[in-house]
Amino acid sequence: MEETIKQHYPEKEKNEIFNNEFLPHISSMYNFGYRLTLDRDDAKDLVQDTYLKAYRFIESFQKGTNAKAWLFRILKNSFINDYRKKTKEPSKVDYQEVEAYYNSEDVDRQITPDLRVESLKDMIGDEISNALNSLDVDFRTVIILCDLEGFKYEEMAKILDIPIGTVRSRLHRARNLLKEKLSEYAKSMGYKNTEL
Amino acid sequence: MSKLYNPFILSDGNKPSCMQMLQLILDGEASHEQEAYFKSHMDQCSPCFKSYSLDIKIKELLKTRCCGESAPTELIEQIKMQISQNATS
Ligand SMILES: [Zn+2]
Repeated sequence: MEETIKQHYPEKEKNEIFNNEFLPHISSMYNFGYRLTLDRDDAKDLVQDTYLKAYRFIESFQKGTNAKAWLFRILKNSFINDYRKKTKEPSKVDYQEVEAYYNSEDVDRQITPDLRVESLKDMIGDEISNALNSLDVDFRTVIILCDLEGFKYEEMAKILDIPIGTVRSRLHRARNLLKEKLSEYAKSMGYKNTEL
Repeated sequence: MSKLYNPFILSDGNKPSCMQMLQLILDGEASHEQEAYFKSHMDQCSPCFKSYSLDIKIKELLKTRCCGESAPTELIEQIKMQISQNATS
């Protein structure tokens, strides 16, 4: 959609693109939808809506390019415009603060020195998933895109319409928040937080 | 030891912090040169060393615990049906 060069595909080719380039990403899309809405029915609606939009706007997609990033961008925009607007209040996170911190010297200060690799080994249930779900949606999103889906920073910047520097700072903050949460779980699981 | 050339230094002359370097390594955004530099840096920097294994483990856990669920078949069918309806109408 950032490339405004319109393609012209005959009907048959549209269906080929849809089946061969779009549909293979449906499980990733469903997972993204679920992680954003935290509801499986809402995720289904969001994914369905995204695929219908993708088909409708298929001529803005250049065959053979990054279909996954393109689809993720549509889903994210649908989530913000249609879903989030009616259900959730806007984000309360101060991103300028997040960025300023990332670019300050404090960035190397360890926030959760008590979280250890050993304590993660016992998190075999839903702890990780719950910790991820507990984050503010914008922080959750960067972790989903980067760690779950393996998008590069540049792709994330395009999907989210933010500069790469912001991707980095948001990711850094998101991971620290996730570690704090995991560290709480580790404590409640009875870990003695011995000195590192 | 003589000062190694640091490939993380940005064009504006600023040197990224440990955590910023680590993040690039972790996310596969570093060049080979930067990776090599970071490996030797980690030998002398215990915060980097500790965070590295923790961060790798968390990334691994996220990948294995939070993905992998397939989209429901009825969702796929529904989408296909709507597309074919739209296409013919
Ligand atoms: Zn270091």
